[in-house]
Amino acid sequence: MARLSVDEDLVRHLARLLEETGLTELEYDTGKVRVRVSRGGGAQMVVSAPLVAAAATPSITAPTAEASATHPGAVTAPMVGTIYIAPEPGAAAFVKVGDRVNEGQILFIIEAMKTMNPIRAPRAGTVTQIFAANAQPVEYGEVLLILE
Amino acid sequence: MFDKVLIANRGEIALRIHRACQEMGIQTVAVHSTADADAMHVRLADESVCIGPAPASESYLNMAAVISAAIITNADAIHPGYGFLSENAKFAQMVTEHGFTFIGPAADHIRAMGDKIAAKETMRRAGVPLVPGSDGSITDLKEAAKVAEKTGFPVLIKAAAGGGGRGMKVAQSADELEHAFSTARAEAKAAFGNDEVYMEKYLTHPRHIEMQILADSQGNVVHLGERDCSLQRRHQKVLEEAPSPCLNPAERARIGKVAIDAIKSMSYLGAGTLEFLYQDGEFYFIEMNTRLQVEHPVTEMISGIDIVREQIRIASGLPLSFKQEDVKFNGHAIECRVTAENPDTFMPTPGRVRDYHPPGGLGVRVDSALYAGYRIPPNYDSLIAKLVVHGQSRNECLMRLKRALKEFVIDGVETTIPLHQRLIAAPDFINGHYDIHWLERFCGLKN
Repeated sequence: MARLSVDEDLVRHLARLLEETGLTELEYDTGKVRVRVSRGGGAQMVVSAPLVAAAATPSITAPTAEASATHPGAVTAPMVGTIYIAPEPGAAAFVKVGDRVNEGQILFIIEAMKTMNPIRAPRAGTVTQIFAANAQPVEYGEVLLILE
Repeated sequence: MFDKVLIANRGEIALRIHRACQEMGIQTVAVHSTADADAMHVRLADESVCIGPAPASESYLNMAAVISAAIITNADAIHPGYGFLSENAKFAQMVTEHGFTFIGPAADHIRAMGDKIAAKETMRRAGVPLVPGSDGSITDLKEAAKVAEKTGFPVLIKAAAGGGGRGMKVAQSADELEHAFSTARAEAKAAFGNDEVYMEKYLTHPRHIEMQILADSQGNVVHLGERDCSLQRRHQKVLEEAPSPCLNPAERARIGKVAIDAIKSMSYLGAGTLEFLYQDGEFYFIEMNTRLQVEHPVTEMISGIDIVREQIRIASGLPLSFKQEDVKFNGHAIECRVTAENPDTFMPTPGRVRDYHPPGGLGVRVDSALYAGYRIPPNYDSLIAKLVVHGQSRNECLMRLKRALKEFVIDGVETTIPLHQRLIAAPDFINGHYDIHWLERFCGLKN
């Protein structure tokens, strides 16, 4: 099941940067993936595998949320379960991007083993990003939204 | 057969269960704490769910979190491994109540064997020889003195809710009885929330011999021979071997039949291990473990039977794929438990493994979740690898073990590999002459 994914957009982006800046070589390294593009011969993709042969397994966390895990305003799931963004099906969502919320205000509900658990804002602030999708599974520590 | 199994454990045993599932075409779900996000089995599993922060009480022991993970991943069954929730009757019941299959015995049997007094009574009725001592619990000092008089000193006061070597106090003579009795009760209360105690004769030079059994849902019960786990330090097993160097085929068959008859009388389901003390040719039952054991690989190496696979098959309702007469033992196997501890002081040494190179070759098996660059978290027990070696004879096994230990590289943390190298060079060990007190004496002498 291990598969190293090729990020096409990244390569195109780097190639365009190369073009625009007039550089002859550009290398992009995140520690997990390294891509080098150079002139004369087109883009060259060098993907270095992580230390372990096994690629990371697909976790149920959405990729965009991972980058925000260390954001100071990140509100994370305190439990495993299914997340709901509205009090009941068809009702308006608890919060949307741009809303100002008070401390203790309900942001989501996580259902775990048939009990509904309200997830409340840890402090007052403005919702700048929402990652949680309705009726999706969430794991402990998963970033649900950013409160600034 | 199950489509998806959730592995409610971590480390080497989670990897073991994942491997058995994969070989059966079963999808795996790895639940893990934040500290184990980069664990080997989490990387290899088909799906993973983070269920809590590092402390075990909030993750691996968090029943609601484990079951929630099973719900959101649509798992069919849960394998609890060993330790953690594997012998938690309440968890087994919750798993079943939520519509999942618990890969293990029924909650009632877990409960029955978890109460050490009740377990002995069940075994007594099934004709299993017990360590002589009290008939049930001892409620006051007067009763303790009477039973000790009848049993003969030295005696051992044991917690009914204990097990695994915990909650035991020795009284060498009548003078020590009062202190041992009251301390045992106080410690039992503190550790297990239950101060019920019983008494057994304290054997001075027993070996720890345990019988592996498997029972399916159709009443078939087999034993897979014994394991000798006498080499222990503070009641923790350090090295195990199969077969025991001190049993002959007649004795093996005798205790095997005793174990099978006892299990048959219980309508038990799954894998289980009956632990005995063996001294002067006699077996004495001490307790039963209603789960997979850490040292199961030595049995697998000499029998060729995949015990985890059998657990999964049994749990899915399939009958045992073999009969007792099909079970053949070949050669000898030894397992060394390698822990992240200083080999002299046993101080735990968690940290980052810089280099990792396991030994290989014919008859060498390493069950470990380590890899180069892996950071051993400090929050869990220190077992980091099991080196299991097989040979056609015990001698060949010893030679191979010596060779394998020399090749084994775990760099960056201290491990007990040097201890194992010293221990297998000891003449007593080479001759198979040891009992459950031997290793502590050996370590004491070393210091």
